Amino acid sequence: MITSPGMRLLKLIAIVLIVIWSIGPIVLGITTSISTQREVNSIPTHWVPHSPTLQAYRALLNGSTGQTSGGTVVQGGDFVHAMTNSAVIALGAAALTLIVSTMAAYALGRLRFRMSGGVLALLIGTLVIPIFVVVIGLFQVMANSHLIDTKRGLVLVFVATQSPLATWLLYTQVREMPHEPEEAALIDGCRRWQAFVRVVVPQMSSGIAAVAAIIVLSVWGEFLIPLLLTTTMNAKPVTVLITEYVGKYTTNYPILAAAGVLALIPPAILALVLNKRITGMLAGSS
Amino acid sequence: MSGTITLESVTKHFPGGVVAVDDLSLEVEPGEFLVLVGPSGCGKTTALRMVAGLEEVTSGQIRINDRVVTRLPPRDRDIAMVFQNYALYAHMTVRNNMAFGLKMARMPRAEIRRRVDEAAAMLGLSDLLNRKPRQLSGGQRQRVAMGRAIVREPAAFLMAEPLSNLDAKLRVEMRGEIIRVQRRIAAPTLYVTHDQTEAMTMGDRVAILSDGVLQQLGTPEEVYDRPVNAFVAAFIGSPSMNLIHATLERGGDGLAVAFAGARIPLPADAASTRPGLAERAGGPVRVGLRPEDFGRPGGAPIDVDVTRLESLGSELVAYLTPAGATDGPLLTARLDRGEKLVQGETARVTVDATRLYFFDAVTGDAV
Repeated sequence: MITSPGMRLLKLIAIVLIVIWSIGPIVLGITTSISTQREVNSIPTHWVPHSPTLQAYRALLNGSTGQTSGGTVVQGGDFVHAMTNSAVIALGAAALTLIVSTMAAYALGRLRFRMSGGVLALLIGTLVIPIFVVVIGLFQVMANSHLIDTKRGLVLVFVATQSPLATWLLYTQVREMPHEPEEAALIDGCRRWQAFVRVVVPQMSSGIAAVAAIIVLSVWGEFLIPLLLTTTMNAKPVTVLITEYVGKYTTNYPILAAAGVLALIPPAILALVLNKRITGMLAGSS
Repeated sequence: MSGTITLESVTKHFPGGVVAVDDLSLEVEPGEFLVLVGPSGCGKTTALRMVAGLEEVTSGQIRINDRVVTRLPPRDRDIAMVFQNYALYAHMTVRNNMAFGLKMARMPRAEIRRRVDEAAAMLGLSDLLNRKPRQLSGGQRQRVAMGRAIVREPAAFLMAEPLSNLDAKLRVEMRGEIIRVQRRIAAPTLYVTHDQTEAMTMGDRVAILSDGVLQQLGTPEEVYDRPVNAFVAAFIGSPSMNLIHATLERGGDGLAVAFAGARIPLPADAASTRPGLAERAGGPVRVGLRPEDFGRPGGAPIDVDVTRLESLGSELVAYLTPAGATDGPLLTARLDRGEKLVQGETARVTVDATRLYFFDAVTGDAV
């Protein structure tokens, strides 16, 4: 495609703006996290810290008092606990969602049964319902089931919210997969479920990996539902804990930024590792 | 190893009233290589899939080795199948692909290894056993698919257009390979293809299907020399038989066929060898003329316009129309490469009148 120099310049400007827009907050977060509270508050602003320090990270990981960290009290171990909670919830939700969605996608994509089209439409239809609409009912159900402030409660909610999209994505993959390998497996002595487990699932592995990453990233970043359904460190994920570092009168920005940076690392690694698979899946080529 | 595959009045209706296979009966005899051939959508693949158990049978019975398998799932039929696109398990090595069925049958490990090694040696795959399918060429993949079928030592073999995805040269090579392997293991084989050359060169017998109905079952020579109807006559042979709407005339010199200004006198014994022919005298008839029956010494001469010439090196394919006829049929002729024809000019070619085929003008049945 031939484009004029003017168009090329516009494109370049757009790309630079998008990069600044995406990378800027992360860079700002990192520089803030290695600054002192005094430096952050200084005017004119120090964009690059004059004396970088890992004090905020130490406070997060080892605990601090309000006095040592400018009004923000960090309980030792809370942050690691919240990160662990986030990981357990995200991985648990991804694992359960994949079990449910892979089977559902296979059934919808392969088996002939009445109303299969209707079931799929209903499933996809739930994607347009915002979670806020059902939040009061959801809270009631979770409270009645004694699942408030439990990791398994959050996992169940996320399985429910994530499985429609996961099923839809995997369904498109099942539809594109050739039938013959599983038919060969049936002839080779498999029952249908054996063919599913031994031949279909391995064939779907790239799609399953991509969907797993999408679910983990999405659940890791969830805020509203855990805020509503958790009260203690028993199930509180890192997204909710971070907000508690915002003090009523003062906020220790280096600690807030350090928490943000650390919380960003696991999903960033996952996204980098599975980048190609995720973009491939979303582009429909997986 | 020997056995039979028997289809008895097998019918398949798809939802919406489509009859894919209609009352199909045939038997693949012990050790026989039977080819089911027909154009796209004729029901041949559906028939094969019913034998495999991948498609339900609407009515009729299927037996493998005299055991009724009509309602059995594929795994209980003791069959092996080779698919058009190989259907290999992409995540497994060649060895595991071949061993998969044996593992499912809980065969001892040593026996699995022995069988896989033996089949791999037979197919020239011994050096590729640790590779994944994606690291293999089309021909190698096809061999793995064959190997996976062979190691099972099944009661019957099913092959669904296994050579269609290969290039022309490899296809010819693999034809010979498949026949060699099949002869060695001697299991009855039902082979589906749309390629009549494959059918003729590979099949002990050939079954020709059209619109779900079996048209003819016979040896390649039988279906070529004595086609039961115009469909079989046109389908078998390459280039296709010329089928001409003609009039059967009775003149002083006996019977003759006339079309578009051309007239071919029939030999004196034509009427006696084909009893139905005399009663059609004076009426319409479809005449079949194989391209290779042009240019025979001593044949009946006809004048033709040479529309197009294609040289294959070894021979000349000529497209001809009866001289001066504006709406005459286009005839295909395979001629000796030394034949002196010029494109766009009129020429005289001979036709072997003893080799003409006759079909009913309406039903297409052979006379």
